[in-house]
Amino acid sequence: MRSMEAHLRLSAASYPVISFGTGSLVRLPGPSIDKPNVYPFNTTSYTSMYSELQSKDPRLYRANGLLTMLERNLGVKWGPERWQDWAIGKPRLEHVEDQGSKGVEGGVVDVVITCEERCWDAVVDNLMERGGGLNRPVHVVNVDIKDNHEEALVGGKAILDLADSLNRVAQEERVNGEGETGRGEGFDARVPEVIAEWQERWPLLPALWTLCWF
Amino acid sequence: MTSSVATQLAQLESARQIVLGDAALYPQIVDGILPIIGPVASLELRRWGAEFLAETLASPTIGSQQKEHLSLLVLQRLRTLLENPHEDAGVIKSVIQAAASAYGPIFKYIINNPHESETWGNMAAIKLNILRRWDNAVAGIRICCIKFVQRVVQLQTPGLIADPRRPDQNELSLSLVPRDHPLIPPPNLEPEASGLLDRLLDIFNEQPSDAVLITATLNCLSPLLRTRQTIANRILNAILSFNPLKHAHPQMSLKDKVQVKSVERTIRMLLLNILRRNESGSFAVRIKQHVERLIQARNEIFDESSRKRSLPVEPTDGLDNAKRARLGAEVQSRAQPPPLPPGPTSIAQLFTLTSDADLTRFDVTQLPIDLIVRITLPVLHGIQQPHLEGAINAVRSRYLSLSQKPIPQPQSSAPHPPGAEEDDDYEPDFEPTEDAEQIRNKADVLPPEDSLQTPMEVVLGPFKLPQPPPLTAEESEQIAKGTINRVFSLMNVLDEPSTVKRQKPGLNRLAGSSYDRDAWMTVITRLAARAPAGLDIETEEEVGNEKGALIRSGSEQSSLSDGIRETLWKYIIEDFRARISIAISWLNEEWFSDRLLSSSSVSSKTKHKHYEKWVLKVLDGILPYLEPKDKILIRFLSEIPAIDENILQRVKSLTRDPERVTLAVNAIHYLVIVRPPVREMCIDALEDLWRNYEDARPSTQKLLQKWRPNILEDIKPDPSPNPPSQPQAPPVPSNPNPSATNGIKSPHPNDTTQPKTEPPHPTEGLDLGAGVEAGGAGAKTERGGGVVAAVG
Repeated sequence: MRSMEAHLRLSAASYPVISFGTGSLVRLPGPSIDKPNVYPFNTTSYTSMYSELQSKDPRLYRANGLLTMLERNLGVKWGPERWQDWAIGKPRLEHVEDQGSKGVEGGVVDVVITCEERCWDAVVDNLMERGGGLNRPVHVVNVDIKDNHEEALVGGKAILDLADSLNRVAQEERVNGEGETGRGEGFDARVPEVIAEWQERWPLLPALWTLCWF
Repeated sequence: MTSSVATQLAQLESARQIVLGDAALYPQIVDGILPIIGPVASLELRRWGAEFLAETLASPTIGSQQKEHLSLLVLQRLRTLLENPHEDAGVIKSVIQAAASAYGPIFKYIINNPHESETWGNMAAIKLNILRRWDNAVAGIRICCIKFVQRVVQLQTPGLIADPRRPDQNELSLSLVPRDHPLIPPPNLEPEASGLLDRLLDIFNEQPSDAVLITATLNCLSPLLRTRQTIANRILNAILSFNPLKHAHPQMSLKDKVQVKSVERTIRMLLLNILRRNESGSFAVRIKQHVERLIQARNEIFDESSRKRSLPVEPTDGLDNAKRARLGAEVQSRAQPPPLPPGPTSIAQLFTLTSDADLTRFDVTQLPIDLIVRITLPVLHGIQQPHLEGAINAVRSRYLSLSQKPIPQPQSSAPHPPGAEEDDDYEPDFEPTEDAEQIRNKADVLPPEDSLQTPMEVVLGPFKLPQPPPLTAEESEQIAKGTINRVFSLMNVLDEPSTVKRQKPGLNRLAGSSYDRDAWMTVITRLAARAPAGLDIETEEEVGNEKGALIRSGSEQSSLSDGIRETLWKYIIEDFRARISIAISWLNEEWFSDRLLSSSSVSSKTKHKHYEKWVLKVLDGILPYLEPKDKILIRFLSEIPAIDENILQRVKSLTRDPERVTLAVNAIHYLVIVRPPVREMCIDALEDLWRNYEDARPSTQKLLQKWRPNILEDIKPDPSPNPPSQPQAPPVPSNPNPSATNGIKSPHPNDTTQPKTEPPHPTEGLDLGAGVEAGGAGAKTERGGGVVAAVG
């Protein structure tokens, strides 16, 4: 929910985006707490989830906002993907329908933003496990967002702010020639500073960052 | 110009889209693109080109064969871009990434093509260039250098050969390089990798540390730790000795906070990642401790309590049922504090506002101090101001009224009569304020009707632990016995003294310093001989005037050391052949301590005869089991510190067994030869034998001829039934008793008056002549009563 909100916002701001989950299955609330609706990652489209829930209990799922969320999501991308199954660096030409797909055809990104510390752990650990075979640096940032509608909205805004800040610095450094001639210190070196400034603007969303390898 | 660059970029982008869709087209496209992105091309083109090369060489869709081909194709271009003066940092970053991806394929190519020196020369030049930039480039380039070096270390360190028969299945590493490779000889590559690793790990010592570089390093170490056993420990040590929070403090800037947290968290991730793969490894414990420490240190520096749910304000501990049960009760009216009890008042009474006997009896000092603090603070927090003031006023008024009263007894001086209800001895343990607060708080929830109880019951009386009943003689003996058994039981768990020939330290030997069984034996023998020695005398001297008391007290006092001696004696007799040296050293100790005592004790009248007593007892213990050819007797007699008549008497008794006459005679003869001080005594003994024991006559006669020939001439003994032609006793008709030779054990040689039925233990190195055993030593004479004990 949080990552899809962020995906929507970032792609609306024309950033290239891919979004993932890190759990073993897609779990959506069901009629009771012990009966969630469970779907496999990568092979279930938002459309099929939508139609299934619609047929099961439209009143319930409309009332708890699930159908609304799925409506939003199916406009964003085909279906949920799982981080651990992501073949990093594999061209993503089949995802052209997804919003924010332009720019990630190469199957890599420069920054990964997670919405919960648990996910940050999963991503960093998974990247260590993969061993960094692409030799490509990637900044992994966590923005701790509580898992509810309101916080997801706030968090989406905060993530967009973070992306803007990082992008601005990257542009500056690109124009400066990334400091080889001594004018700047380079994008990567400035990331901690960007995050610190961002944290001052968003003190309620604790951030965590590290530099990983694809 | 700009428009042409834009057009070119668009074309290049569409070419890229093509190869992304079909990886098979890479060689053609790369070949076509290379000339466009040379050093003279515009910055935008070079940037795009370098990124494209990095992406291409990293792409997982390209097979290893094709990647090798592509790497060879672009190697020269990478070198020219890298060596282009004042090249843009973005370009350099991408080129180093591409080089890191190309290093493996090139390495593999060189393994298979050992004479492609030009290719390897290019790769080596690239490597050199990258290493030169490593230390002083901008962070973005340095992290790429770090990753490149990590690749080099990984490739130039031996990896695991999973299956030697299928080399292409194995992971690319130094292990695949032939020893005699002309271009990349492993003896050169491995030290290079080792040096690079040192430089890589050097980042952890750098000051000030840069979080970007450190996390970049940490995040690339996982594959090395996982797949390179030879260097994993080195890396792990470097990580474990690095403290990311060393320079952290709560007042540092936000950016520093982000960096420190990042580094600390990344270390934890890496350690946990390693731990998960190897839960029981030698480093597992260290890693776990390190992670714990990191978490703790981090929490101390960054107060993260805001993220946790705060503790409930009112702690409900399960200790106080009175409180729990009445938590819901409404407290409307304040309980009047009960009046003070008549008579002298203790501080505890002064502060006690409750009249609940259970509460006052509760000893707060039994609770750990931190628990009390945890309880008291919230209680203080939650207490209502009027209640607190009321309670303070109550205590104040009590104090005032007390201070106006004449003091009957100053509290500090004049000891209270024993058993008095107030005892100031109790006060120091009390923590008056906390305790009073607590009790007052409890008073808040008490129903008012309790307040009428008599305050007398409220007072905590002094408590003294009653004296334990004195031990009876039997009990103390029992306990002493238990102690001795424990001392001896340690022998079973101690190591055998190592059988390896140790060098003899000679005079420099320190007794009991080797921490093995020998050492413990020394301790025990000294315990027996020395420790209580002085005590015996004192007692004897003190009670010397009462004869009856002397005996009783003396025997009691010495029972412990005698108990040790008794146990030691049993221990030796159980396996006297193996333990004869213990016996000898013990008896030496006894003899020495007897001498010490008799020289030091004030009244030299008291004789110390431990040695005499126990040497005879040991001798009695082993004599029945001696074989006719046992050398153990000779050894024993020659090594004990003193020999007297009684000992010789025991030895002589051996001659009652015709089989062991020779043994006895030989033993005495040996003493005649090697112990001049007792020579006369021994010759007397021989003479006695010659006169009184027919069986011994032939053998003693020969000896007497040498040592005391005059006797033989003076007195002719009775004609011998065994003429001298038969010097040895006739062999006993073969009557082998299986229990004697097969080692069936009798219960225990506990009672010294009983004939010993324990068979001799298998001979160990000590008795030298034990190679052949005499046919059957079925029955052996017991000394003293001359009982013949039939074994079995």
